[in-house]
Formats: sequence, structure tokens, C-alpha cells
Amino acid sequence: MTETDLITRYNYDAFVPQKFLPWMRFDQSPPLGQPAPDFPLWHLDGREMRLSTIWSQHLYTVVEFGSFT
Amino acid sequence: MNAMADRYAAQGVGAIFLYTHEAHPGEHYPHLTSMEQKFQHARALRDVLQVTRPILVDALDGACHRAYGSMPNMTWIFNQAGQPIYKSDWTDAASVENALTYFLDVAARRHSGARLVPFRVERLDYRTQDRAAFYQGLERNGPKAVEEFRAAFG
Repeated sequence: MTETDLITRYNYDAFVPQKFLPWMRFDQSPPLGQPAPDFPLWHLDGREMRLSTIWSQHLYTVVEFGSFT
Repeated sequence: MNAMADRYAAQGVGAIFLYTHEAHPGEHYPHLTSMEQKFQHARALRDVLQVTRPILVDALDGACHRAYGSMPNMTWIFNQAGQPIYKSDWTDAASVENALTYFLDVAARRHSGARLVPFRVERLDYRTQDRAAFYQGLERNGPKAVEEFRAAFG
């Protein structure tokens, strides 16, 4: 799958099972108690910050994933 | 979740909202095609939903979201070493707060000299299902979002 295909499929244009179900893989998500994968993220002003930078700044860090719905 | 973040901030708990993609694209908030649009949606979400926690935006291909399972509204808690210690496939403030109070107690016991080792536990938590409020959220995205959800789940 090309990067363009990935972007298009991930950002599906309609909430229909064949488009959203393939992405829902919580059962395959990282295990507890093991080093978690790290990724770049962006503040609303465009500044880049890694997820690891955030979790390293706090005793515990709560990350809620979401959108409008 | 905002109020809870405020309550625990002084105890060393950080909290962010990670904007992912539109789970229910509609006429008002359609599917994403650019980072510029993604930032626009995230800013609108901050203002409309009054999210007071820092909002961060994932890459356009959802690299972070996908790696963590791609659920539309999940919550994870990480310790300072970067290990997930709680993961929930749906966000419920009571469940998250229950976990936080437990983990803060763990930290306090360790600070007092207790020798603690981790073990694994699984359990089901329960949340209130408010279908009316959920549909209100879908209406914010537009009629298309409502119709598609109704077609999928009734």
C-alpha cells in the first residue's frame, strides 16, 4: 500500500463497515508494561513534539484519542 | 476528562487529547485530506467541545493512532518510563480516574519503601450509554454522519 493509499484509507470518507472495521485492532495494540511505540505529534501551533517527551515529563500521562465523534 | 486532568495535575499527572481522524465524516467535518485541514478540525474541536487539555495532532496517516489500535475514543495511561499501564478501548472518566487513584497509591507506596512488582489483571468496566447525546455529536458532523451510523448500527 502506498503512503497515498494509506492516507486515503485511514481517512475514510464514509462510516461503512468495510471502511472503518479494518482499522479497529485494539486486540493487537501494544501490551501493558512494555516499552510503548513512540511517534511525532504536533501542537496546534505546528510545533512538533514526540509522545515520549510528553510521557517523560509526568509521573503518569493520560492520552485520550479522539475526534469530533 | 478536562476536570479530572485539572484535579490530578498537581500530583504529577499529565493529560493530552490526541486528535486522530473523523470517525464519522460528515458535511461539516468531512474526511481529512491534508494536515492543514487536520489542524483546522483540531482547533474547532478545542473550541466547540471546550477541550482544555493540550491538544496534539497525529500524522495524516494516523501513524500513532494506528499503532495503538485505532479505536475512535480510547484512553491510555503511560508511566514515566514510557510503558502503558492502562488501556481502554473507550474513554470513560470514572474508569480512568479509578485507575489513576490506584496508580498514585502505587507511587506513594513505593515512595514509602514498599517493594512492589507488577502483575496483570483484566476486568470489564462499565459506562453510561447515552445514545441521544451520541446522535447529537453525529449531527454536529452533518446529516451524512447520522445516516451512516444509523445504517450501520440502527
